[in-house]
Amino acid sequence: MNRFKYSAENAPKAWFFLIPALAIIIIFNVVPLIRTFYMSFYRGSLTNPQFNDIQNYITVLTDTKFHTAIKNTSIYAFVVVPVALALSLLIAITIHEKIKYKDFFETIFFIPYLTSMIAVGVVFRFLLNGDYGIVNFVLGLIGIGPIDFLNNPSMAITTIIIFGVWSGLAFNIIILLSGIKSINTDYYKVADMFGATKVEQFRKITLPQLIPIITFLLTVNFISSFKVYTQVFAIFNGKAGIADSATTAVFYIYNKFYVQNRYGEGMAAALILFVLILLFTMVQRMIMKKVAQR
Amino acid sequence: MKRTLTVLSYVFIIGMSIITLFPFIYMILASLMTFQEATSIPPTLIPSNWEFQNYSTALQKAPFARYFFNTVLVATVSTIGTLFTTILASFAFVKLNFKGKKALLTALVALLMVPYEVVVFSNYQTIAQLGLMNTYTSLIVPSMASVFYIFYLNSFLEAMPISYYNVAKVTGASDLEFIFKVMVPLSKPALFTMSILSFIGGWNSFIWPVLVTNVPEMRLLGNGLSAFATESGTDVHLQMAASTITIVPILILYFIFRKQIIRGVVKSGIKG
Repeated sequence: MNRFKYSAENAPKAWFFLIPALAIIIIFNVVPLIRTFYMSFYRGSLTNPQFNDIQNYITVLTDTKFHTAIKNTSIYAFVVVPVALALSLLIAITIHEKIKYKDFFETIFFIPYLTSMIAVGVVFRFLLNGDYGIVNFVLGLIGIGPIDFLNNPSMAITTIIIFGVWSGLAFNIIILLSGIKSINTDYYKVADMFGATKVEQFRKITLPQLIPIITFLLTVNFISSFKVYTQVFAIFNGKAGIADSATTAVFYIYNKFYVQNRYGEGMAAALILFVLILLFTMVQRMIMKKVAQR
Repeated sequence: MKRTLTVLSYVFIIGMSIITLFPFIYMILASLMTFQEATSIPPTLIPSNWEFQNYSTALQKAPFARYFFNTVLVATVSTIGTLFTTILASFAFVKLNFKGKKALLTALVALLMVPYEVVVFSNYQTIAQLGLMNTYTSLIVPSMASVFYIFYLNSFLEAMPISYYNVAKVTGASDLEFIFKVMVPLSKPALFTMSILSFIGGWNSFIWPVLVTNVPEMRLLGNGLSAFATESGTDVHLQMAASTITIVPILILYFIFRKQIIRGVVKSGIKG
């Protein structure tokens, strides 16, 4: 075999350096993916699985609990992502245009990104408590409430949306600020010379320049919102709200798998969620491409 | 008109900052209150006495010292492991050419699309079948390599001239010598950022520790705190002390390494 003879660059030894990383990635990323796929067609215990054809998929797709989970997840995603993005954009632009101590405020706004969601959830439970929570006290001062954020099933989604927006701002603001900073200031100088107003400059320069970043943020935010789990776990102390009122797709998978031990159905639900996320991402990309062309 | 807008801007930004910071400030304040103060109406803002014994009470009621140790150990070792595997892999990807490199990179990009939550449950089965439940191995090893960080380091290394490697080869240095004497020192900023982000990620990890541990001694701060919140019922002042123990170390890291952390997140675009 002289296949490598005249290819000086070809270095099969590269694999030697790749082995540690690849071994872990294969065992803990690739194999589980294949396994998820395989298991979604089986039922029964882990040691004695029986082929179940597509029955798991049918069970999950016709399960009203799964419908609720997908509905809740969608409401969460379609409210949290736009609201958090609009608010972040407003904050980032205000900081950039009007505020002197930019670094100071950037530092503050980024904190929620780094802190443990569980710990913050414990704090939010305290702040939102129906009896002695400070949020209800403040709302009472302006004549609202009291609102039972934690124990009223019809408030459950609103509560996780509030928590989701609060915790989602940090990442958006940091990314948007870095994007705004990198816009060439010459554009604004020229626009000023031609007498463009600030609003016009925002619409004609800032916003178009930020489209790629906004697209990126929409994509990652939607993906992470479709996978929302820890926020719900944290704010309802391990449950999906009173009477599962805030159950989400990942919560559904977790319950199927870990609580009910219906592994096959859990894996089928996981793959359905994966496909939904992929489809959504593709559609969203197409829409954003259209927007960018205009 | 312009003045009004500026004033409004400050009011808005300061208002939003208060909303962002208030949970943390009030957490620390309430962790130093008595139970009566923490649950009083109207709410107490400043405790009359600093009740530092809340911390020792919380530490007695649940093994937070153990959780803390576990968290530091798991986050540190998985970070070192990630650094090691990532450095070697990125060296191979950026400085060497080999058959199937393009295909491998494409496969890794595709893997980035797979949500963690889709594989985490069958991952748990692997661990259970290997009999590794409740071990440090199960908490650490799966996070010792990361596709994300490989791409992050790749993009950094691509800016380093290949001639460095060629010179090292000509002078007779081995690959490992090149990696540890040239490449690593030159990519210190990137490696440092990676380490902090990976450490914070390990510190805050939650689903995985919940799945692979079911005894209190093996819990990390996240699931330990969550269990404590259930067990301690209405002892909110103790819960605030426990949350403070979980959050403050990361805040300290953040205030020291603010620039590196923010730069790293912006560059890698990792949504936590």
